[in-house]
Amino acid sequence: MKKLISRREMLTLLAATGASGLVLRASAALNLVPDTQLARPRIPQADPNNPPTIVVLGAGIAGLTAAYELTKAGYNCVLLEASSRVGGRCMTVRSGDLIDEVGNPQICQFDDAPHMYFNAGPARIPSSHRNLMNYCKELGVDLEVFINENKECYYQDDAMFGGKPVKNTEFTTSARGFMAEIMAKSLEKDQLDMPLDQWELETLMGVVRSFGDLSEGDMFKGSTRGGYTHGGYLDHGEAKEPLAFRELLKSGFLRNALSASEGETGPILFQPVGGMDNIAKGFARKLENRIFYNVLVSSVKLNNSGVEVIYEHGGVKYKLDADYCFNCIPSHLMAGIDNNFPSEYVAAMRYPQRGEAYKSAFQTKERFWENDDIYGGISWVNAPIRQIWYPINGIHKEKGVILSAYDFGGGMAFTKLSQEQRIEAAIQQGEKLHPDYRQQVEKGITIAWHRMNHMLGCAARWPGSRGGANAQAEEMFQTLRRPAGGRHYMIGDQVTKHSAWQESAILSAHWAIKDMLSRQPGNASMPGTPLS
Amino acid sequence: MQVCPELPSPDFSRITVIDMKTLIKTLLLAGGIGVLTQPATLLAQQFSQLDTTFQSIGNQVCATCHGAYGQGNPVVGGPSLAGLEPWYLRSQLEKFRAGWRGAQRDYIPAYEMQATVSNISNAEIDRLVSEVTSWPEPDPEAYSEGNAAHGQQLYTTCATCHGMSAEGNEALKAPALADRDSWYLYRQLNLFKSGFRGGHPDDVTGAQMRASVQVLEDDQAVKDVVAYINSLN
Repeated sequence: MKKLISRREMLTLLAATGASGLVLRASAALNLVPDTQLARPRIPQADPNNPPTIVVLGAGIAGLTAAYELTKAGYNCVLLEASSRVGGRCMTVRSGDLIDEVGNPQICQFDDAPHMYFNAGPARIPSSHRNLMNYCKELGVDLEVFINENKECYYQDDAMFGGKPVKNTEFTTSARGFMAEIMAKSLEKDQLDMPLDQWELETLMGVVRSFGDLSEGDMFKGSTRGGYTHGGYLDHGEAKEPLAFRELLKSGFLRNALSASEGETGPILFQPVGGMDNIAKGFARKLENRIFYNVLVSSVKLNNSGVEVIYEHGGVKYKLDADYCFNCIPSHLMAGIDNNFPSEYVAAMRYPQRGEAYKSAFQTKERFWENDDIYGGISWVNAPIRQIWYPINGIHKEKGVILSAYDFGGGMAFTKLSQEQRIEAAIQQGEKLHPDYRQQVEKGITIAWHRMNHMLGCAARWPGSRGGANAQAEEMFQTLRRPAGGRHYMIGDQVTKHSAWQESAILSAHWAIKDMLSRQPGNASMPGTPLS
Repeated sequence: MQVCPELPSPDFSRITVIDMKTLIKTLLLAGGIGVLTQPATLLAQQFSQLDTTFQSIGNQVCATCHGAYGQGNPVVGGPSLAGLEPWYLRSQLEKFRAGWRGAQRDYIPAYEMQATVSNISNAEIDRLVSEVTSWPEPDPEAYSEGNAAHGQQLYTTCATCHGMSAEGNEALKAPALADRDSWYLYRQLNLFKSGFRGGHPDDVTGAQMRASVQVLEDDQAVKDVVAYINSLN
C-alpha cells in the first residue's frame, strides 16, 4: 500500500520548488493558516445591450458592496434606501446631523470642525479585515491608526481600591508580577507534570521572570513598567509600589486586562480620517445616480421572471421589476414588509434576535485627558457606560469628542432612559474616572441602536454564532442565506457567523453574488482555487 | 413657522408601473437625481426647524414597527393597525400620549410607542386616524396552542363588553377583537394581568379590563380564550 504523504512533507516539497506564494495558498487550503486571500467575486461583464437588472434594498455596507461590484460589471443596479443617508450602521455624527431615534430624534450640536465627529456604529478596522481594507484603498478612503489599548488609560471598579481609578500600566504590571511570582514558585517546587530537562526549565524560568519583571529571589517587588513615583530621567528613578494583588482579585477586569489586544483587536486597528462613514460615502460616489433616498419599501414579491418591489417616495407608489434582489433590510423589519416568500424563509427572518448596543458621546470643553498623558485608547469602568474612548483625531486642538458610553452586549439599561437621564447617568459614571468630568463635558448625544428608525436593532444575534450554533439556529441560518426563489438574497452581517463587523457585511455580499453567478447556466464554479 | 409635510398617502389606485430602465432614464433626463440625493446634513438643517416628533411620523416612523400600511410585525412587537376602529385608535393614541400606556419602561414596545407619540397634536391624531383606517385590513395571524372549546366558556365574561362575536362596543369603550392577531391578543391579556396595561390611576377603562382579565387564571386559560376569539373571525 502506498504511504500517504503528510501535510508537512507536501509543503516541504512545494517549498523546495521555491514557490513560496504557492506554499502560502496551499497552507490556507489545508487549513494550516487562516485564509487571507481576498474573496472578491469575479463577475463576467454583462451584455451591454441587455444587462441583468438588480434592485438592492438598503444602503448599508452590504448593499453598497453588492451595488458597487455589480455596477462595475455592467449590471443595471438601483439601490433603495429608507433614510436620507448612506451607510446604515456605518454612521458618523457631526455638527447638524440627525440621529433619528424613534421617539427621541436629536440634532447633533457639536462644533463644526473636521475632528469633531463621533463614529456611532463601527469605529475600528482591524488590518486583518482585508476586504474592507482593500475597498478603502480602492475608494480612496484615507486611514489613520486607531489606538485601542493604551496603558495610560484607566480601570475603575467600585469593588477595588475603594473605587479609585488605576492606570492600565499599574494594573497589568502588578497582575503580571504576582502571577509570575506564583508561577516561579510552582516551577521551583518541581510540580510540573511535563518532564523538562534543566536547560528547558531555566529557559522557562527566564520567560516567567521576564513576564512579571521579578526581582531577586523570584519575588515581585514592583517594576518601572508600572511607572515611577519620581525621577527616571535626570535623577535616579523610583518605581511605584506594586498594587495589592488581593485588591486586583476583587475586580472582574483582572480576567480581561491581559488580553485586551487579542482576537479582533489584536491586529493594528484603523479609522478613516474624518469619520467611518467616509467608507459609505466612498461607495456612494461610485453609485451616484443609482441610490434613491427616503424610499419606503412596502412589498417584495417573487414572480416567474424575478422580483417585484413596490415602494413609496414622496407620497407616490412605484413598482419596480428586477431580475434579482439583494436585500440588507434588517431581517426583523423585512418580516413586517408584505412578501410572498416561503414560510420557512419568513420564519428564518424572524429567528435572530435584535441587537441592543448603545453608544453615547460628549463634546468636551478641553482635551483634559491629554493633560493626563492619555492620547487615544480606552478606559474601562465597571458601570453601565463600560468604556470611555479618547480620540486620536484632533490631538492638541482645543476641544474633542469622547465616547462616553459603549455597551456592546446589552444596552437596554440606557435605552430605557429619557435623553436627559441618559446624559446624567453618563456624567455620574464618568466622574468615577475623571473628577472634573461634569465641568468638562457638553453637548451630549446618544445612540440606542435598538430604537434607531429604519433599523430597530444593532447587529443580529444568532444563538451560539461564535461557539457553534445549535441545530435549529444552523438550519435557520442556512435557510436565510439561500436565495428565495433563486432570486432574492438577504445580505448584511445579519447572515454571517460574525455579525457586527463591516468585513462580514462585505463578505455576505460577495457570497451572494458568487451564489447568483453559480446558478446561471454554464457558470457553475469549478472546485478548487484558480491558479492564474 | 411650522411646516407640516403631508403624511404618505396609501391610495392604491396611484400605483405607478414603471420598469427599471425607464425609471433610470426618466430620472437622468429630468435631472431629478439631485433632489433625491440631497446630503443628510441639509435635511437635518431643515429638520431642526420643525416639530421633531411630527417629522418623525411624517418620515414613516409608524411603518418601521407596524409594517408598511399597518399589517403589523410581531418580531418587533408592532401590532396590526389596519382594521382598528377609528374611535379605538384615537383613544389609544391619546392614552399613549398621556403616558397611561407605555410609561413603564420594562415593556419596551409600548415604551417606544409612548416616546414616539408623546408630543403629537390633536390635528396629527386626526390625520393618523383617517390614514390608518383607510388601509386594507390584513388577515389575522391564527394561534394554534389554545383550546377554543374551553376558551368559549371563558369568553362569556368577555362577551359582556366585547360582544358575542367579539365585534366590539364603542359605547362601552370595548374594541372589536375578532380580527386581531393572536400573538397580540395573548400579549395584551398578559400585560393587563401584570398591570403594565390598565395600571395607570387615570385609565378608567383600562382598569376595568385589568380587573376583568383576572378571571383568566393561568397561561393556558389565556391561550384558550385567544384561540376562541380567533375562531370568530
